[in-house]
Amino acid sequence: MEFLSVLDFTFFLLVGFGTLVGIIFGAIPGMTATMAVAVCLPLTYALGLNHGLALLLGLYVGGISGGMVPAVLLNIPGTPSSITTTFDGYPMARKGEGEKALRICVIASVIGGLISAAVLFLFAPLLADFSIKFSYVEKFLIILLALSVIASLSNSMLIGIFSGVIGVWLSLIGDYSISDGGNGHTRLMFDFMEPYLFEGFSLLPVLIGIFGISTILLEAEKGVKRDVAGQRIKIGKEGGFSLSIFKGSLTNLTRSSFIGTFVGMLPGVGGSAASVLAYTQEKNLARNSSQMGKGAPQGLIASESANNALTGGALIPLLSLGIPGDATTAVLIGAFTLQGIQVGPLFIPENHETWYVMMTALVLANFVMFFLMFFAIKYIAKVVMVPKHILYPIIVMMCVVGAYAINYGIMFDVWTLLIFGVLGYLIQKIGLEIAPLIIGFILGSQAEVYFVKSLESFGTYSVFFTKSPIAMVLWGLIAASVVFAIIMGIRSRARQKMELSQASGPHTVSGKHHGSNND
Amino acid sequence: MLLSKKTMMGVGSAGLIAALAMHSGIAMAQDAQMRGNIRVVIGSTSTGGDTYQNASIVVDRLAEHLGLNMKVDAVGASSAFRTLDRDSRGNTLMIFHDQSYLGHLYGVQGYDDIFEKYTIGPTIAINPGNAYLVAKDSPYETLDDIIEAVGNGETVRVAIQPGGVSEIGFSALKNAIAIEHPGQEDNLVAVNTGSQSDKNQQLFDGQADVINGSVQANEQYTRLPEDDQKAMRFVWLTARQGTIEQALEEGLGQTTREQLLEYVEPNVDVTMGEDENFTFDKEFFFLYNKEMDQGIVDQIDEALAAIYDEGSIQEAQLNAFFIPDFNPSEEASEYLQEKMTRYEEIISNIN
Repeated sequence: MEFLSVLDFTFFLLVGFGTLVGIIFGAIPGMTATMAVAVCLPLTYALGLNHGLALLLGLYVGGISGGMVPAVLLNIPGTPSSITTTFDGYPMARKGEGEKALRICVIASVIGGLISAAVLFLFAPLLADFSIKFSYVEKFLIILLALSVIASLSNSMLIGIFSGVIGVWLSLIGDYSISDGGNGHTRLMFDFMEPYLFEGFSLLPVLIGIFGISTILLEAEKGVKRDVAGQRIKIGKEGGFSLSIFKGSLTNLTRSSFIGTFVGMLPGVGGSAASVLAYTQEKNLARNSSQMGKGAPQGLIASESANNALTGGALIPLLSLGIPGDATTAVLIGAFTLQGIQVGPLFIPENHETWYVMMTALVLANFVMFFLMFFAIKYIAKVVMVPKHILYPIIVMMCVVGAYAINYGIMFDVWTLLIFGVLGYLIQKIGLEIAPLIIGFILGSQAEVYFVKSLESFGTYSVFFTKSPIAMVLWGLIAASVVFAIIMGIRSRARQKMELSQASGPHTVSGKHHGSNND
Repeated sequence: MLLSKKTMMGVGSAGLIAALAMHSGIAMAQDAQMRGNIRVVIGSTSTGGDTYQNASIVVDRLAEHLGLNMKVDAVGASSAFRTLDRDSRGNTLMIFHDQSYLGHLYGVQGYDDIFEKYTIGPTIAINPGNAYLVAKDSPYETLDDIIEAVGNGETVRVAIQPGGVSEIGFSALKNAIAIEHPGQEDNLVAVNTGSQSDKNQQLFDGQADVINGSVQANEQYTRLPEDDQKAMRFVWLTARQGTIEQALEEGLGQTTREQLLEYVEPNVDVTMGEDENFTFDKEFFFLYNKEMDQGIVDQIDEALAAIYDEGSIQEAQLNAFFIPDFNPSEEASEYLQEKMTRYEEIISNIN
């Protein structure tokens, strides 16, 4: 227990400080956990490895969790992995249940984070061996599984799939990067666009544009009027939060946490896939998922437990293979290299002290995050009480600053924000769906790389079916997901028909289904 | 002729102002110095990689020496070049390695001829770790076995990232096979992949027989037991023998310098013809905007010369398994241009 001597007051202070700063970064649209870690990375020189890791892990956990705040209150995912949090969080906030939604998110987050930390501590080397069984083929199938959820997330399956395809198409603009083993050539653009779009559209400006700016444009269209949202907000006991909400959600919580951990440990699959997969598994497997997308706590539980479980999951390949599991751990690895410490398959056996220090910091950061957020929510939730004519300009300003900063000062990212803000607005006007489009955008380029690389490696299409038992299981899940979406589609149409026939009076007849608020 | 006092004073002050302006103009042209915040962009997006690590070591000391605020930004090659293009004031500098001209030689989009488009700054360090590895249970014990096997018609697949540092060793190997076993070189097949993780995975999956890697990223894998699916073995380090000899005796991890020397020339031969062996040292250097003032180029040269003279930077570099390698701008430019010509020949030979 030599490592206990490292755990001094500064260590605890740094974890707390890191978590707090991380939450702030995560909560500001356009600022991410990755950015927080990157900004503070040079500090690890001065702090030394153990104290440096305390700070960075705090930032990591805080940054991922902080994303829930704008997702719930403003419909802007603070981090890419909190997209699915907007699906139910924002409708709840609109009903005045923002505080309740945030409390659910915080509890789900801390449970997800702790489950993944436990899995990391107990099974890291074992799981790392399992993760290398996932070659290009299996990774492609995981992405395909996540993409297949587009069908079940949409109000109209056909429109959903069409929106998803547009998203995939947008993701392919830019070069087929040599860092992915591609030819480095650009496609799907004119020559004059090359200086701006060589690497394609950046994810975060797209995300905050299509969610945040378009929401603001839609609100602006309604004009400035006396805002009633503030009066409707339910604070404190009135907020309606009690732990009984989690009753019957144990399966959802555990399943989503494990999905998050599992996706996190697959390098190159990306964090957003985790929350998307967890969300749709809940939608597919829950006894009653009809309210999901309209403000159901179960959606929040799935999304937030999965995205916080990423933290432990992404550290598994980092510490057992020397390979970062996601974008943030890719920056985190710098803390080790700057201190001259190799991370690889022998890291844990050869660096016991650092390993225990990291585990302590990770668990501690989760608890700090919980206490900081759970008790601050009352005040945070009041953000929606700020009059919209003051709140929205501030949000736009933060979005612009965030978009400009995300790639260290690229002005085109601000244009991207505007382009996708307007596009998001138009998409909703013409009846396309944002959620499938953005999921297609996030997963499209990875799907392409893994698909092409699978073919290049194995030279035949049949390998997708015959590569391994894991591939077959994944096909089973994909088939189940598609069949489920079709059944749900048929049921929903039947329900609509029934409602129409029961409805009296011509004013209820509407050709479009506007029930859900998953935009 | 009488001139009024007022006119005299007017002419006098105008002359003084003109003289001062001229003097300060000359002074500015001679002594343009960096000022304000300096951003050092690097050609890699990774903060865990060797470019960031190298840049951090040098930039931290440079900032301290010059009393300036300097920051390293891992923006990636294409963004870094574009950012550098925009700023001729000297507030944006770039640090990258041989990829900057190899990308151009391999015809990768977004890579121009750096010797034409930019001013080449000083070299700062070498990463001697560029390596090729096989699975521990591979039938190929040495690089010679691989060359022989390919020469005998066997297909050997090498996982690389195309278009640069990762490919140059593969190209040299192919060239060597073309020289020793003419007509058989096409049996050496490149498997184009991306990150180190992808290359490792190709080896684990049996989709590649050899992978490009590095001492830093793969050393721990070489110490795993043979029955572990992840176990690997070095077969070739592309660095010069003289470069590895400068590394610390303890080497990296638990692989000593002595052990590493087994994998470099002359123990491993990759011929370029005419009794010349191929070697490749991955060198890091500064790149500047072509319009940047010569005064700043000199200022950085002088500052780095002083830092390297002082000596503590070498210790930091060696501890991080880098070989200190300072050459001022002019020498660096000449040397790198000559280096490029050498590799250009190999690439054109095999195409």
